Amino acid sequence: MAKISPVIGRYVAIEVDDLEYRVFWLENGEGPPLVCHHTAATHNHQWRHLLEDEDFTSRHHIIAYDMARHGKSDPPQNAEWWKEDYRLTADHFVNFVIAFCDALELDQPTFIGSSFSGCVALHLARRCPERFGAIFALQAAEYASGWWPDWWRHPHTNAAQVCSSGVWDMMAPMSPDNERWLTMWYHMQGAEVLKGDLHFYSMDHDLRGRLNEIDTGKCPLVMMTGSYDFLTPPAVTKATADQVAGCDYVEMEQLGHFPMSENYPLFKPYLNKALELIANKRA
Amino acid sequence: MTEAETAVKAEAWAEKFRQATESDPVIQCYAKYYTCDFLLDMEDLRVGVQIRDGQMHKIEINSAPLEPHHFSLHAPAETWRKMSEKHPKPFFHGFWAASVREDLRIEGDITVLMQNLRNFTAQFELFRQIGVPV
Repeated sequence: MAKISPVIGRYVAIEVDDLEYRVFWLENGEGPPLVCHHTAATHNHQWRHLLEDEDFTSRHHIIAYDMARHGKSDPPQNAEWWKEDYRLTADHFVNFVIAFCDALELDQPTFIGSSFSGCVALHLARRCPERFGAIFALQAAEYASGWWPDWWRHPHTNAAQVCSSGVWDMMAPMSPDNERWLTMWYHMQGAEVLKGDLHFYSMDHDLRGRLNEIDTGKCPLVMMTGSYDFLTPPAVTKATADQVAGCDYVEMEQLGHFPMSENYPLFKPYLNKALELIANKRA
Repeated sequence: MTEAETAVKAEAWAEKFRQATESDPVIQCYAKYYTCDFLLDMEDLRVGVQIRDGQMHKIEINSAPLEPHHFSLHAPAETWRKMSEKHPKPFFHGFWAASVREDLRIEGDITVLMQNLRNFTAQFELFRQIGVPV
């Protein structure tokens, strides 16, 4: 008998800052929506385990989309994108997330993002907290400079190998080999957009001096970082969380920069903990 | 340990490094064109390595100061020991991590490192299996 997954994929057309996108998403489960964003230069398969985990799908509507230019979501349909140097900005990133949530008519979703999408989670918390039930920022910091080098897209190198090998050390060495290689594999597929994604991460994203504008009374915020993440180490994330009144901070032991993908069994209790923190605050 | 004993230990390590590299399936499945010269400066020891198509062309213990190489990694012996532990502590778990958060320095022609990054990354992981000679 065929093993057909309960996860289904669909496309939706959205418009963001006059750009028309056809966005692909995967979903499964019933309950309050949990919107999951992948890391830079990858796609929604990073959330493959959560999407099929009945412990969560029995009580949450899990939605994991591919951002435009990633996975099955193409670059804009109404622009000659091949003539432009893709450089993601905070404004466009925030508007993309909001437009997607609007298109699916999601009511007070919980947003969870990691790395560059963990950073945009902070912008969402600051700019539009009323739109979300809760926000989880993984592997995020108020500022993350230094990761916009030309090596991600250098004509004298194999960009797929550079981008994927460059993230190898961001994972915990004890994470299972097959999961680490899958996480690398996703980066190989998205090498062309890594530099453009990291324009947001390392150049346009800068919330230094503005974290006090995040009101966790309007939308609870949880920040979590893996202990082996050298890009956004626990101390850096904690320093950010400490500047946001009411923000919860959790260090994830034995995990790196891609916790949901590199070692889901270890990540799962931390996600549960984050959901419990939010439930307790609502109670 | 006497100087002679140290030299014998280092030579034995070099042979283990050669065998581990040439039998590693991750490196060998992309062996063709994995060609570069690099220096591993371990404070007490300088190891010069020449790779040709995934094979160890030459490993030189105590490589001479003017011996040419494309790129080099420099760190105190203690850092190399920490990086070679089977379960290294955070930020000693790879040369990217140690160069950003600890005291490992990468010098030389970074283009060559990037051109060979997939296999060099895999080869660096071998130190967790065979240790380091310092």
